[in-house]
Amino acid sequence: MTDSPTGVSFAALLLLLIAAPIIPGIVSRTKAILTGRKGSPFWQLYADLWKLAQRGIVRSTTTTWIFQLAPIVLLATTVAAAALVPLDGRSSTVRFAGDAVAFAGLLGLGRFALSLAALDTGSSFEGMGASREVTFAGLAEPGLFIAFATLGVIAHDFSLSAMLGRPTGYVGVSAAAGPSLVMVALSVFALSLAECSRVPVDDPSTHLELTMIHEIMVLDHSGPDLAMILYAGSLKLGVFSAILMNVLVAASGEGKWTFSGAAAIALVASFVGMGVAIGIVESIIARLRLPKVPLYLAGGSALALFGLILVLR
Amino acid sequence: MNVFLSGVGLILAAGIGAALIRGARARAGDAVYQILLIVGCITAGAAASRVLAFGAPVSLTIHGAMPGGGWVLGIDSLSAVFLLVILGVGGACAVFGTQDLAGERAQGRRATWFTQLSFATLLAAIALVVAARTIVVFLGAWEVMAISSYVLIVAHHEEENVRRSGLIYLVATHTATLSLFAMFATWDSGAASWSFDALAAASPSLGSGATIAVLLLALVGFGFKAGFVPLHFWLPPAHAAAPSHVSALMSGIVIKTGIYGLLRVLLLLGGAPAWWGWLVLGLGVSSGVLGVLWALAQHDVKRLLAYHSVENIGIILMGIGVGALGVSYRVPAIAMLGFAGALLHSMNHALFKSLLFLGAGAVYRATGTRNMEELGGLARRMPLTWLGFVIGAAAIIGVPPFNGFVSEWLVYQALFSAGQTSEVSRLAILGIPALALISGLALACFAKVAGVVFLGTARTADASDATEVGRGSYLPALALAAACVTLGTMPTLGIGLVTAAARELAGVGDIGLPVSVLSGAWSISLLALSTLALSALLWLARRALGRRWATRREPTWGCAYDAPTPRMQYTSSSFAAPLLSIFGPLSGVRVERTATAMHTHASDVVLDGAALPLWRRVHLAALRLRGMQQGRLHLYLLYVMAALLVLLAYLAFGSRL
Repeated sequence: MTDSPTGVSFAALLLLLIAAPIIPGIVSRTKAILTGRKGSPFWQLYADLWKLAQRGIVRSTTTTWIFQLAPIVLLATTVAAAALVPLDGRSSTVRFAGDAVAFAGLLGLGRFALSLAALDTGSSFEGMGASREVTFAGLAEPGLFIAFATLGVIAHDFSLSAMLGRPTGYVGVSAAAGPSLVMVALSVFALSLAECSRVPVDDPSTHLELTMIHEIMVLDHSGPDLAMILYAGSLKLGVFSAILMNVLVAASGEGKWTFSGAAAIALVASFVGMGVAIGIVESIIARLRLPKVPLYLAGGSALALFGLILVLR
Repeated sequence: MNVFLSGVGLILAAGIGAALIRGARARAGDAVYQILLIVGCITAGAAASRVLAFGAPVSLTIHGAMPGGGWVLGIDSLSAVFLLVILGVGGACAVFGTQDLAGERAQGRRATWFTQLSFATLLAAIALVVAARTIVVFLGAWEVMAISSYVLIVAHHEEENVRRSGLIYLVATHTATLSLFAMFATWDSGAASWSFDALAAASPSLGSGATIAVLLLALVGFGFKAGFVPLHFWLPPAHAAAPSHVSALMSGIVIKTGIYGLLRVLLLLGGAPAWWGWLVLGLGVSSGVLGVLWALAQHDVKRLLAYHSVENIGIILMGIGVGALGVSYRVPAIAMLGFAGALLHSMNHALFKSLLFLGAGAVYRATGTRNMEELGGLARRMPLTWLGFVIGAAAIIGVPPFNGFVSEWLVYQALFSAGQTSEVSRLAILGIPALALISGLALACFAKVAGVVFLGTARTADASDATEVGRGSYLPALALAAACVTLGTMPTLGIGLVTAAARELAGVGDIGLPVSVLSGAWSISLLALSTLALSALLWLARRALGRRWATRREPTWGCAYDAPTPRMQYTSSSFAAPLLSIFGPLSGVRVERTATAMHTHASDVVLDGAALPLWRRVHLAALRLRGMQQGRLHLYLLYVMAALLVLLAYLAFGSRL
C-alpha cells in the first residue's frame, strides 16, 4: 500500500463512471441470445439515461424533501464507495485502514435514503419494496463482511486497496490462501446478486408489482431522478465486478500489472464477464420464493465463512 | 475540582429554584431552572474539559468525621469523557423537559416542579457517580441516582402501567446495588481504606477466587444498569413510561454509568483475565443482535428506542471485550482500538439516542400517542423535529458521515486486528459478521420507524393535526444533531477526546492509537466532504436539467388504483414482518392472522419468559414460610432462643469441624 493516489486510480474511476452502464445491456444481450430473442442493444441503458435526463419530473403530492434528496444521496454514495475500491488493480482513489467498513456504510446510506423515499410516497407497494430491500440487504451484510475479513486476514490489512489491489512491491498471496479466495469469490458473486437486486433474489424484468423488490421502490421516481437511480445501480454492478475480478486475479496467482492499459482492459473485461455471468444465471434459473431468499444468503455467507476458517486455521 | 463542585451545586440549585418558584409563577421558575442548570452544566463541564486539555487529573479529599473515612472526589480522563457527555446531553434534555412540562402544566398537571427537582437531582447524582473516588460516595450517589430515576419513571403514577414499570425498575436496580455491595465487600477486605486508590493497591494481592467474584459481581451490578441481555428486561418498560426528556437522559446517560462502572473496575484491577474479555464480547454480540431484533418488533416508538439502547450497549461491550482481550494477550494496539471504540460509541450513543428520544417525545407531545400505527406524515407537520430525527437515525445505523459510523469503524478494526494475532484471540474476528448483522438490522429498523412515523400520510386525525411543540422542543434536538454531524465529519475530534482514557484502560503509557487510524480519520473527513460536494453538484445539475420542464405534482402511483387511503400504507407490523419471521420464536412476536387482518404482539423474551416466571416461583416458595409467622410473642422468643443455641453450638464445635 505504498502507492500514492495516482492519476491511474482516478482514471480507472472515470472509466467505471463511463463504462458501467454497459453491464445491464450485456446482461439483456446474453439473455436475448440464450433465449433466442432479438433483444435490445448492449448500449440500451445509455439511451435510457439520455432520454430520462431530458424528461420532466412528476413527483407525488405526498412526498417531501427526502424524496428529492434520495436519488442524489444514492448516486453520490455509490460513487464515493467506488472511490474506495482499487479499480485499477493497484490501489483506490481514497484508501485508509478499515475503509471496507466505509464502503459498506456508504452503500447502506444510499439504501437508507432510497427506502425512506419509498416510504415517503405512502404507497403500500413501495413500502413493501422497501421492507424487502432492507431485509435482504441486512441479511447479506454479514456475508459481505466475512468476505472482507477473509481477504483482510490474507492481506494482513483491513483496507480494500490491500485486500484487492496489487500495489508496488506486491509479492502474491501464499498458495494456502488459494482455496479461500475461490470460496470468497463465489460468495461475493452470490451476495452481489442480492446487493444489485438480480435473480435469484430479485427480478428486475418482472412485470408484476407484487414480486418486485428494488424496482417497486422506485416506482414514483421519474425523469433525471430515475436516471440517477438506474445509473447508480449500474455503477454498483461495475464495482462488484471489479471486486470479483481482483479476487479471482489474486486467486490465480497473477502478479501486479506493469502497464495501465492492462488494468483498463481487465476492468472492462470484468464488466463483460459479470454481465455474461448474470445473463446466464438469469436465463437458467428463476427468482427464488421470498422465504427461500434468507437461505440463499446464508448459504452465500457460509461459503465465505469456510474461507475465513481456512485462513484462520 | 472546586469549579466542578460549584457546577454540581448550581445544578442542584436549579432544581430547588424550580421547586420554590412554582404555581402561578411557574414560567419564572422555568427560566431560573434552565439558566441555573445550563450554567451549572457549563461550569462543571469546563472542569472536565480542563482535565482533558491538560491531561492532569484533579482530586479533592474532604477529611474529617465522614462515614467511611475521608471522602475523595476526582476527575481523570475516563471521568472527564463521561462528564462531558453527561453534562452536554443533560443540559439539552433539561431544556426540552421544560418545554414538555409546560405542555403538561397547560393540561392541568400541577406537580411539574417535582419532576424538575428530581431531574436536577438525578443529573447531579450522575456527575457525582462519575467523580466519586471512595466506596461510600460512589454507592451513595449511585443510590440517589437510582431513586431519583425511579421517582421520575413514575411521574405519571396515575397509570397502572407506569407503576408496574417502576416496580420492575426498582427491583432490578436494587438487585444491581446489592451486587455492587457484595463486589466492594469482597474487594476491600484486603484494602487499607475505602478509597478507590486503596482498592487499586489491594488488587494485586486479591486471590484468584476473589478476583473472579469481583469481576462477575461487577458484570451483574453494572450490567443491570447498562441493560445488556439478559439483564435488560427492566429497561424498555421504564424508558417507555418515563417522561420523554427523562427517557432521553436515562437511555443516553444513566445506562452509561454501568459502562463507566465496568471500565472503572477494569482500571482499578489493572486488566482482566482473558475469559472475562471473551464473556463480555459474547454478551456484547448477543445483546447487540437480540436488542435490534426485539426493537424491530415494537410498535411503541419509545420502547423501540429503548431496545436500540440494548443493541448499542452490545456494541460498546464488544469494544470493551476485545479491548480486555488485547490487554490480557498483551497486544496494546488491539486494546487501544477496542477501548477507544467503546468509549467513543458510549459518547456517540448518548448524543444520537437522546436526540431520537427527544424527537419521539416531541411527537408524543404533539399527537398524544406513541403507537407508530397511529402516526405518519409528520415530516410535513413537524419539519425541524423530523430533521433532527432523521439525522439521529442515520447516526444510529452507523453510516458515514455521521458519528455512529466512526465508533463502529474503530470496533471493526479492533476485531480485525484481533484476527491478525497468532493466538486464540484471533477468533474474535468472528465478531465482525455479528456487528455487520447488527448494522444491517438497525438500518431496517430505522427505515421502519422514520418512515412509518414521519413519512407517507397521517393515519389518524391526531397525526394530521400535529404541529411543532415549540422552540424548546426542537432546538435541543437540533443541537444534538449538529454534534452528531460534527463528530461524524470530523472524526479526529471524537477520537482525540477519548484517546487519553483509552490509553489508561489499555495500560500502554504514551503509545497512542495506530497512525493508520488517525490518518484514516482524516480520510473519512475527506470522503464525507467530497460526498457532500458531489451531492451538491448533482443537485445543481438536476436543477439545470429541470429548467426545461416544470415539475408536476400528481398523486402517488397506485398501480392504476386511484382511491388510496392512509390505511393502505405499509404499517410498522408489515414492514418488520419478513425479518421477524426469519428469526422465529427468538423475536418474541406473537402473530394473529384473520382473513383480512394481521396483528403482531411483541413480548420481552426475558421478562415474560424467564424473569416473571422465576419471580412467581420464588413467591410461591416464600408462601411456604408463612407458617412461621404466627404473630405470637412466645413463638418469636423461641426462634430467638433456637438461633442463639445454634450460634453457641457453632462457636463451641465449629472450629473442630
